[in-house]
Amino acid sequence: MATEVIWWLFALGIIALSAGVVFSRSVIHSAIFLIGSLAGVGVMFVILTVEFLALTQFLIYGGAVTVLVLLALMLTRADPSGRAEKVNGPQAPFALLAGIGVAAVLLVAALSTEWAGNTESPTNIAIEAISQRLFEDFGLPFILASVLLLVALVGAIIVARQEEGE
Amino acid sequence: MVPLENYLALSAIVFALGVYGVLARRNAVMILMSVELMLNAVNINFVAFAAYLDPGRIVGAIFAVFIITVAAAEVGLALAIVIRLFRNRATANVDEAATMKW
Amino acid sequence: MGAEQAWVLAAIPAGVFLVLALFGRALPRGGDYLGVAAIASSFLLFFVVLADFLDTPGKLGPVVNDIQWSKIGDTFDLRMGIYVDPITIVMFAVVVTVALMVNIFSIGYMKGEPRYHWFFAVLQLFVASMLLLVMADNLLLVYIAWELVGVCSFLLIGFYWEKRSATEAAKKAFVTTRVGDVGLLIGIILLWKEGGTFNIQELIHLAEEGHFSQPYLFTALAFIFLGCMGKSAQVPFHVWLPDAMEGPTPVSALIHAATMVVAGVYLTARLLPMFEIADGMLLTVTIVGLVTALLTGFIALAQTDIKKVLAYSTVGQLGFMFIALGAGEPAVAMFHLMTHAFFKALLFLGAGSVIIGTHHNQEMDRLGGLWRKMPITGTTFLIGSLALAGLPPLAGFWSKDEIFVVLEHKWGAWAVILLGISAVTTAFYTTRLFIRTFMGRPADPHVYEHARETPPVMTGPLVFLAFLAATSGFVVFHEVGKALGFPGGITEFIFLPHHGPHEYELKWGFAAASFAMAVVGIFSAAWMYWGNDLRRATALANWQPGLYDMLRRKFYFDELYQGMIDRGVLGFSYIVSWFDRYVVNDTGVDGSAQITGFTGGVLKYLQTGRVPNYAMAVALGVIGLALAGLVVRG
Repeated sequence: MATEVIWWLFALGIIALSAGVVFSRSVIHSAIFLIGSLAGVGVMFVILTVEFLALTQFLIYGGAVTVLVLLALMLTRADPSGRAEKVNGPQAPFALLAGIGVAAVLLVAALSTEWAGNTESPTNIAIEAISQRLFEDFGLPFILASVLLLVALVGAIIVARQEEGE
Repeated sequence: MVPLENYLALSAIVFALGVYGVLARRNAVMILMSVELMLNAVNINFVAFAAYLDPGRIVGAIFAVFIITVAAAEVGLALAIVIRLFRNRATANVDEAATMKW
Repeated sequence: MGAEQAWVLAAIPAGVFLVLALFGRALPRGGDYLGVAAIASSFLLFFVVLADFLDTPGKLGPVVNDIQWSKIGDTFDLRMGIYVDPITIVMFAVVVTVALMVNIFSIGYMKGEPRYHWFFAVLQLFVASMLLLVMADNLLLVYIAWELVGVCSFLLIGFYWEKRSATEAAKKAFVTTRVGDVGLLIGIILLWKEGGTFNIQELIHLAEEGHFSQPYLFTALAFIFLGCMGKSAQVPFHVWLPDAMEGPTPVSALIHAATMVVAGVYLTARLLPMFEIADGMLLTVTIVGLVTALLTGFIALAQTDIKKVLAYSTVGQLGFMFIALGAGEPAVAMFHLMTHAFFKALLFLGAGSVIIGTHHNQEMDRLGGLWRKMPITGTTFLIGSLALAGLPPLAGFWSKDEIFVVLEHKWGAWAVILLGISAVTTAFYTTRLFIRTFMGRPADPHVYEHARETPPVMTGPLVFLAFLAATSGFVVFHEVGKALGFPGGITEFIFLPHHGPHEYELKWGFAAASFAMAVVGIFSAAWMYWGNDLRRATALANWQPGLYDMLRRKFYFDELYQGMIDRGVLGFSYIVSWFDRYVVNDTGVDGSAQITGFTGGVLKYLQTGRVPNYAMAVALGVIGLALAGLVVRG
């Protein structure tokens, strides 16, 4: 019973914070809402008993990604005076319709499907099971992912580097 | 206990919010944040499926790991591009970088 | 090596062709000795093949050797191979002998010419293709070799391609024979479609069993005969051969007198059992031969270029061979083919000797009296001329006489009378050619002063061929053939097996008539031209200027064809060009381009350059796809 209460609490929190991200007029506010929303997802992972992923979520999203985003915001302040700029493009009304459409399609699809298996309660996922899968069966993709990260790191440095004469 | 459908519904709503953000926002950093929302919605789905329907193989959880990894790489690179764009055009608004046309 | 390996005869010159074509330029003397050596080895190997063939058990039976070429499914099984029978042996003998003589002669004739090595290279390719043609056991291989000799002919006619007339002549030869070749291809396809095989012997067997219906067989054979007419320059395709004299004279001797142009005769002889089955086919062949022999006999009367006279004579003699075939006697045709190859090659090489000896003069109006300056050429040329005129006991007499006999036997007296006229004209123009070139008063003293006999490398082949032209007719006699080692005499040898043994006997009546015709032609020409005096001839030409002009202009065939091309082809091409300009180009090509351009001009506004618009399109697309998926799932 307690789990359900916590779940609903956090689910509504995630939705509210996410809405804050996309509807807020200030970029900084959006970023802060995003931190909350991502943390909420992390809690969802805890409820789903995948503590390892929750930890990763807090570390990478809550730490690295949001810091990166805030730094980028700092570096790209178009108007130092802080005068509010128009945050939405001209197609925002249509975007709202599209968003509603996507939500409708996804909800219909998710709720009308007969899922094969136990849909009532989650099974515990042991951290050992994840490590076993990750390092044994998905060893090569794991290594490739690390290479990808390295390449992205180097690429980001090269792209963002201040060149001579700029 | 919370049934699977709840997670799916939550994921769908967060994903749709992300879609709206990507389509409506002008600032490239905000668009990126919306993309992160969409990726997280997908992650919720993956992990929920792994925990409910596939406890033996938990492929969904593994996928979530990879998605987080790739998302980190993507954010790093995308933000580098945004900084570059800002340095060249003094704006981070995507609709002002509209030279790629007829 | 036996007769089964007869393909080696063709393989040697083919290999030497590759060597000469690739490296001939670098070899000393252009590698001409390699060419002569290749043909000489084929010449020697021919006797090995001949000996083995005569020893073959079953006596004079065909020797077959074939391999699987390609197999598609169960229905299309293509085999290719060689087939050696008496006809093939005769063709082998003619080709290797004349080719050897021409190769030796060319060393002298082509001396100092540009592209000397290329000339010898193509000569090797020609010999290889010609040998392949006569030993092929199926029509597809025949067709391949047929086109190969055609392209060699094209290359050699246009050998002096710096001269516009030479390229024009090469083009004319190629296009004219092409018209016939298309017929040949259609005929081959027709026979294959109904018979299911390309193999000549199997096709003959099918035809004998009545596998083909009469109209079908007639159509197919008529198409094949069209190809034979084109290759053997029969009326109305004869126009290319006289123009082909633009090529070097040894080429005229080898390709356009002795070997390639008889390919049509050979193929008809090879397929003659089928021709006999199809009603009316033999009559067609006879009429074509008769018309050709008559027309070209008259045309040759008024020509003044030595080689042109000989070219028309060749066309006429090919007509004689077709007449023999039309009478259903391939052996007689092959006999005349052989004797004609020897004396006509001799005449052409003699003409080549005259051309070299007089520093490139081949117009009778500038020659005369050359016998005193060029005794060997003159004497051998005389032997060749008399053989062509049909004077006994030279080779031409025997074979021509045989043709009269079989013609009378098959079609009756009317055909003999027509052919007799042609024989008289043959004797007449041959004598005229000889007198105006070698006897009497020189028409051009300057040319006469500088004329000299040609070197032994050229006169040698002349003497050898003169010997053959004088004696090769005697093989018709039983005893001669036996003495040479042919069981049962050479006539039995060259007769097709199913025609049975046949012993030659001289028919005195025909012999006398034939002799009389030759004598009439010779003496009337001598009376008219004796001493190279043109007064009587000029008087005759002035008496009927229209007739003379018609002969000199070759019955206006060239003008007729040119007119047909101008009116018909150009008129048709005007319509085609209109269609191409307005329908294909403006509507089809430009129209589709304009539609694409217009559509692009409108649709380009979808390309706003704003990324959010593109993202919106993606989102809408995803929603649409998902909706479609939901609908399909139900």
